[in-house]
Amino acid sequence: MSEMLEVKELTKQYSKVLAADKVSFSIGEGEIFALIGPNGAGKTTTIRMISTLLTPTAGDAIINGHSVVKEPDKVRECITYLPDEAGAYKNMTGIKYLRFMAGLFKTSIEDINACVERAKEMCGLGDRLEDKIGSYSRGMIRKLLLSRAVMTRPKLAILDEPTSGLDVLNAIEIRKMIKELAAKEKMSFLLSSHNMLEIEFVSDRVGIISGGHLMVTGTGAELKERYNAANLEEVFERVVKENEVH
Amino acid sequence: MKFINLLKKELSELINLQMILGLVVSLGIFMAMGGIMNATIDEAKEKTSNITLRISDRDNSDFTRTMLEAFEKDGNKVKTFDTSGDDYASILNDNSINDIVIIPEGFAADIAAGKRPQVISVSKMTSAATISNINAGLSSSISLIEKYVSVQTAASGGLNAKQYDIIKDPLEVIDNTVVDDRSAAISSDKILSKIAIQNMLLPIIVFVLIILTSQMLMSAVANEKTDKTLETLLSAPVSRGAVIGAKMLAAGLIALINAAIYMIGFKLFVGNATDKISDSAESLLKSNLSADEAIHQLGMNLSGIDYFLVGLQLFFTIMICLSVSLILGALVNDTKNTQNMIMPIMMLAIVPYMISMIADVNSLPTVFRYIVYAIPFTHTFSAIPNLMFGNRTIFFIGLVYQIIVFAVCMFFALRLFMSDKIFTISLNLGQKSKYKAKKRKAQNNK
Repeated sequence: MSEMLEVKELTKQYSKVLAADKVSFSIGEGEIFALIGPNGAGKTTTIRMISTLLTPTAGDAIINGHSVVKEPDKVRECITYLPDEAGAYKNMTGIKYLRFMAGLFKTSIEDINACVERAKEMCGLGDRLEDKIGSYSRGMIRKLLLSRAVMTRPKLAILDEPTSGLDVLNAIEIRKMIKELAAKEKMSFLLSSHNMLEIEFVSDRVGIISGGHLMVTGTGAELKERYNAANLEEVFERVVKENEVH
Repeated sequence: MKFINLLKKELSELINLQMILGLVVSLGIFMAMGGIMNATIDEAKEKTSNITLRISDRDNSDFTRTMLEAFEKDGNKVKTFDTSGDDYASILNDNSINDIVIIPEGFAADIAAGKRPQVISVSKMTSAATISNINAGLSSSISLIEKYVSVQTAASGGLNAKQYDIIKDPLEVIDNTVVDDRSAAISSDKILSKIAIQNMLLPIIVFVLIILTSQMLMSAVANEKTDKTLETLLSAPVSRGAVIGAKMLAAGLIALINAAIYMIGFKLFVGNATDKISDSAESLLKSNLSADEAIHQLGMNLSGIDYFLVGLQLFFTIMICLSVSLILGALVNDTKNTQNMIMPIMMLAIVPYMISMIADVNSLPTVFRYIVYAIPFTHTFSAIPNLMFGNRTIFFIGLVYQIIVFAVCMFFALRLFMSDKIFTISLNLGQKSKYKAKKRKAQNNK
């Protein structure tokens, strides 16, 4: 499996807080990698650096051969980012939003139309796409944003809490969709979630981050065996507590 | 008890440090404005209490000499000037005075012949502001001459009908107004009544434009930030410069459309009133010239270049608003705070707006003048009066100052948007910072 993302000692120092300290991991093509950690652990900072929104204090991340430090423009062409609890433009209709976002990634009308058609199919919102986003429920917005995030067929989709706000059935549907895209289209995913069940089901590998340090990475099975835990939740608890002791 | 509990909660939601700070700043600005107005009014008062009668006695007859002596004996300060010709602008400028009453040759002879004598009143207009055009010396001179002529005519005894008319209305005053180096045979009151409503129009539009533009862009940035659509947008393959540029251009265009609609609406509303007021003023204040002709003769009419310059200044005013709004919008951490955030811009617009409506900034005491001129929006409010009254140097200094202010604000706005700060900065007035909270938590754990 060739590497789609290689994170090399990525560090972010705010004036008095070390938000991410030499974080290193990699994601292969078509791989789903989940970054998990308690609140304030440095997940969002790491994700934002990979998404080119924040400049690393040190280190680098190479996405599809492009450096986030040296070639952020090239990186943005290969990725899409869905922030946690993100909203959309309330006065736009769903379809206009998809068209607007597709227009930022593609230049030809054919490509834009193809992206929109793909998103329409994936989100399952049907005729509601003609309504203003302001009238959508939280779950509908999330589905719209998720379809937006994958409609351009990015090399790497970065999804922060992809299923937050979705009911159980919709969440299952989204997880299936992510797995399918990774398997069939070789799309790589960097996920962040607090839902351990979701992580265990959807991800190929997991990284646990705490206090700005990436403590451990591995497949769910590897981690469970290493920490002699019944599930990923227990692994998470032990790793975080271990870090607090140190 | 439950009601008190609810009331406490509502009050604690409404009263926050940002709101208190806004009130304190407002109070400070209004106090400063009060100071400026007091100084202006004091100056006007001093002018009226320390009147000098400036008179040029071209008749130089026994009657006029005795009249001027009588004025002095009554305790008036009289200053006489030797003048000739009808180049009134030169007369005022050469003698460095703002007003004069000229008693023409044949003044005493007219009285003796039972005719109503003439005097020429010349005053200089330096601004369109009401307080700045108070001319106590001129009106005192004319009323004293009127009184003297009435008394002398009455004292001569054996009055005929014409002399009775002179006692009732003793003088024919020929008004002349000087602006810069030009003069026109018209009273300054008539010009003021003509331009008053026109001059009211621009400040209102500028004020609306400043507030509207700022609020639009600030809300747009604040909403993008709090909804996290900004993160989505900036992680897409589009430059940050394009994102900012599109935002600024859209807000600027909408503001201009709004300004045009306000301008048309306001013009329709006041158009008839302007004509009616200037018509009635024309009939009350007799003159050979119409106000429009006089404005043209005095060089107060704005040329195409002048309108272009006013437009240019308006453009930079909007650009300053937009760049400041970008910064303030980025500081908002809660859309509820957008209203509070607009307060600094609103205050900076209110001060010059109010002052420009009442007084002339150029005639303010030096310290206040510099303070008011330090507010970039002042130059927009005083753009038309400055061009009208030939204060071109002040206009261009203002324009250059606005360009510099815009460049500085834009530099900081771009730096903010191009850096990480756009995602991390926020104004947490009255809120504990995350860092302090973390530190406190760590100390508690120890």
